[in-house]
Amino acid sequence: MQAADPPPLLTLSAVSRTYDDRTVLEPLDAELAPGQCTAVMGMNGSGKSTLLRIAAGRDTPTTGQVRYEGRVVTQDDIVVRTEIAIAGDQVSAYPDLTVREHLQLVAVAHGSGRDADDLVDRALTECRLDGRADALPGSLSSGQRQAMFLAAVLVRPRRLIVLDEPEQHLDPAARRWLASLLQAEKQAGAALLVATHHAELATSVADQVIVLSDGEVTSRGTPDAVLSEIAWLAEIR
Amino acid sequence: MTVTREAIAVPDSTEPTLALLRELRRGQARKRASGIAYWIYVAALFVLFFGGAQISAAYRVLRHPPPGGTHALSVLHAAPGSLAALGLLVLLVLLRDALWRGPVTLPAAAVSWLLGTPVSRAPLLRPRFRRSAVASVLAGAVVGIVPAIALVTNGLGGHDTGSVLRLTGAAMVSTALLFALGTGAGGLIERHPATRMWLRRATPAAVAGAAVLGGLAGWAAAGRPPAVLDAIALWTGPWGWAAQPIIALAGGSAPLWPLAMALLAVLALAALAAADRQTAGIPGSALRTRAQTLTAMSAARASFDTRGIALAYSRAGRPRRAWFRLRHPRRRVFVLLWRDVLALARAPSRLVGAAALALLAVGMFGIAAASHSEPGQAGHAALLPVAAALGLGYLAAAWLCESARLDADDTRRSALLPFRYDSLAWWHAAVPCAVFYVVAGVPAVALSVAAGDPRLLALLAVTVPVLVGGALVNVFRQPYPPDLFGGFETPVGNSAVFPFILWLTMGPLVSVLPMTLLLSAALGSSSSGALTRAVVLGAALAAALGAFAAHRARNLRAS
Repeated sequence: MQAADPPPLLTLSAVSRTYDDRTVLEPLDAELAPGQCTAVMGMNGSGKSTLLRIAAGRDTPTTGQVRYEGRVVTQDDIVVRTEIAIAGDQVSAYPDLTVREHLQLVAVAHGSGRDADDLVDRALTECRLDGRADALPGSLSSGQRQAMFLAAVLVRPRRLIVLDEPEQHLDPAARRWLASLLQAEKQAGAALLVATHHAELATSVADQVIVLSDGEVTSRGTPDAVLSEIAWLAEIR
Repeated sequence: MTVTREAIAVPDSTEPTLALLRELRRGQARKRASGIAYWIYVAALFVLFFGGAQISAAYRVLRHPPPGGTHALSVLHAAPGSLAALGLLVLLVLLRDALWRGPVTLPAAAVSWLLGTPVSRAPLLRPRFRRSAVASVLAGAVVGIVPAIALVTNGLGGHDTGSVLRLTGAAMVSTALLFALGTGAGGLIERHPATRMWLRRATPAAVAGAAVLGGLAGWAAAGRPPAVLDAIALWTGPWGWAAQPIIALAGGSAPLWPLAMALLAVLALAALAAADRQTAGIPGSALRTRAQTLTAMSAARASFDTRGIALAYSRAGRPRRAWFRLRHPRRRVFVLLWRDVLALARAPSRLVGAAALALLAVGMFGIAAASHSEPGQAGHAALLPVAAALGLGYLAAAWLCESARLDADDTRRSALLPFRYDSLAWWHAAVPCAVFYVVAGVPAVALSVAAGDPRLLALLAVTVPVLVGGALVNVFRQPYPPDLFGGFETPVGNSAVFPFILWLTMGPLVSVLPMTLLLSAALGSSSSGALTRAVVLGAALAAALGAFAAHRARNLRAS
């Protein structure tokens, strides 16, 4: 990070993860300040999701520490639950609740009170789900489902957003929309940590790219620098 | 836009969120309640239909207790060891339940949509713990009736209705307290994940302890061990305390049973209170893992996939380490044997479980053989102990066939092996048979020498491949064909249940059933003809089952 950057919101210090005798993430340092985005790239199984789970407090690092505004991150911490929005970990939905009702639930749970309906309407429009607001999750396409999870991020207050492959199931037009959405979030002051396979998304949103291979950082820097350095990423691009 | 650079105040949103959820899901709650009522109705019908005679017999026994029979004293002597052993096993099951499910579980949707929000977890989790505790206490009270009836049926516990009701009531209360203790301790295990490691480590010791107590019960039934051993068994822990009121009111010796009962009550209430207080602190990771496991299990259950349920359970545990190494063979014919040995060695609990089942099967077989040799028992007699022995043996064989099951779970796994898929059924039989021969052979030889009856060894030699063949028949079954779900209505329900049971139990049916008849006939006759017939037909059956398993494997691959 640059010296002139605002103080970091999220700090990962020598974070590593080992399962039994298998190391899935080698010690890694990173910082993320408000209004900045770090994209994590790498092949399947390279450790991206592990890193994101640790950063969001969903997993405990074997060594090192993750701090959010100076406090150790755990998923049960009330501040973490209030300020860090995570998309990509929802595996299930209430089969009897509509898209709108899911979003209302999240909005109310985050204390939006009477503003909940407005927030939900705006999120539905933003995520192009207006026409599917009253649909049950079982009738959504995978792309619409992904959009519902992203909408759930938008109806709640947030300072840090952690997204695990948000471009999954989205068509090219929707991916461009996603990039503009994340840009807007960043400009509004949110810090973003995004795992992605999509070089275009990383280029358009990220300030820094970390490339992982077998749990090890093989490259890091600005998107252009990293993508020109790593041939296979450039090919995707 | 609710992005902010400033700290966000933690909202007090619990009550409105839960009220909204209740409002949105009101219809669902009604649907769930009617679903529960329907299943209670079905269960009640099932119990009345299939257990009506037993229930009315039990009721008659409680109303008019029979006089003490010849076995009454033996049963009473065996009660301290056996009840303490059963109590220990029940407690262990309740505690281990907390390793993968626990008294507190959240639905996957609630985990996904509520756990990551600032909603307070106490109102989400505490009611679930309390419901589990109530259900567990009620279940314990019902289970407590069983030992009471068993004792009363043997003429123990007095001969008037009042004494019998006192015994039954004490059994219900003490068992309910034991269940309450298990649920409370389970809640604490769920709250403190570090304790799971200790529970896993303590499990073999607890099982061994139960076996020792069971052995003491056997000794007490056959002879008369020193009374101090019974006293020790009854004071080894809460499982012994729970047995004391039952034994005392059945006429046995447990003079301090009120103290034991009070200790159990205090411990159970303390565990429940502590767990209730700490429920809100159950880590999100524990709730997420449990929700995933239960989702996988219910998906498997919906498609009658028993293997899927077992896999979901095993994945909920601690990931295994490949600590055992075995140099790979140079000759290709040994590859699958090497792979099967590795699979067994890397799951020692499965191996130990199979060995224990095999030992029990041999013991039961010995009892069957002994009962046949009693005067007046010649011919076809005592089918039940033979069937029980073979049932236990079948379970042991099924446990030993795990490696075959892994190949059946995903037929692509064996694509690189130098064998035709259907021939795997034959190859996978070798190691389970060898292990079974070793585990059951030693006690069988001892039994054979003690009884002076070499026929037992010949029968064991032919029974093992039959049981392994039956297990492999089940291993290579195809998914349940959907067209079999549609049966036709009969006065006792839809007929689809019969093909389903047949599909589920094909392995034991084609192996245990015929072998029960063959072994029973061989044991019941002193002529060598019956033995020869059992050996020849058993060998033919084993070959037929191998061929059948291979045929099913071929169909599985093609499906």
